[in-house]
Amino acid sequence: MHFVFSDKVMLLFDFWSVHSPAGIALSVLVVLLLAILYEGIKVGKAKLLYHTLSSLHTPASQEHILERERDSVDSDSLLVSRTPLRWLLCHFGQSLVHVIQVVIGYFMMLAVMSYNAWIFLGVVLGSAVGYYLMYPLLGKI
Amino acid sequence: MDHSHHKGKNYMDNSSSTMPPSHHHPTTSASHSHGGGDGNMMMMPMTFYFGFENVKLLFSGLVINTAGEMAGAFVAVFLLAMFYEGLKIAREGLLRKSQVSIRYNSMPVPGPNGTILIETHKTVGQQMLSFPHLLQTVLHIIQVVISYFLMLIFMTYNGYLCIAVAAGAGTGYFLFSWKKAVVVDITEHCH
Repeated sequence: MHFVFSDKVMLLFDFWSVHSPAGIALSVLVVLLLAILYEGIKVGKAKLLYHTLSSLHTPASQEHILERERDSVDSDSLLVSRTPLRWLLCHFGQSLVHVIQVVIGYFMMLAVMSYNAWIFLGVVLGSAVGYYLMYPLLGKI
Repeated sequence: MDHSHHKGKNYMDNSSSTMPPSHHHPTTSASHSHGGGDGNMMMMPMTFYFGFENVKLLFSGLVINTAGEMAGAFVAVFLLAMFYEGLKIAREGLLRKSQVSIRYNSMPVPGPNGTILIETHKTVGQQMLSFPHLLQTVLHIIQVVISYFLMLIFMTYNGYLCIAVAAGAGTGYFLFSWKKAVVVDITEHCH
């Protein structure tokens, strides 16, 4: 078990078996997009959580957020009692996003475990590009 | 395939007897067939599949051969993944509660249209020799072990168990993160 630069690889599913340079290029592209999506979901989850809280709350300035952090427990339970259905939907959506994040994370781990160096470089490059592209968006809440 | 079938039949024949022999038998038959030159028994699957025969789970004693055992393993893995999510969130809450020295470092960053946003960073100081910190350390060990277990379970490529991991993570997140505050640990990785 060691890394090899090979154009023959079997990835995750038995129908995703690659035997040609074009195939490996396509696979690397897919893995790259997956890694970018993973970083994007991480940022998106944080933004979604923020938007949920701030839309349910009164217009949020930074002081409000600090206060909310300090006594988050009682203000959150107040939110829950105020708009239960909307909160439930948002929370359900967030849980789904979390499942997608977990699954993509494991898929990437399994793809790296194929010990194909091209795939590995694809994952690393995808994470780098994803981080570079997505994290600046986090500041623009 | 042929051998695994053979083994599954042996197991079912034995299942009426007491537990220790039935546990003992599959391992001996596995080692025997390996000695016979069948390398397939030791090979790990490389792609996803749905099946409940001869699924090795973490430890040598844990081999799934029947649908009932797979159902049990599904529930166990589901609960483990749920517990993992709960543990992560509980640790976060515990940390927030035990913090005595929180400093907020605010710094202005330019916003999109001329506005100025205040970015706030939280600096957390915790004493090394204190009960909350020791508790956090113990919980961290448990978290690391469980996360590796879940990773190894996913690595079996068994479709049912992978679904159990994902569904457990989702359910745990749904149930336990009601009171999650705005602070999101963005640097977490792999999970």
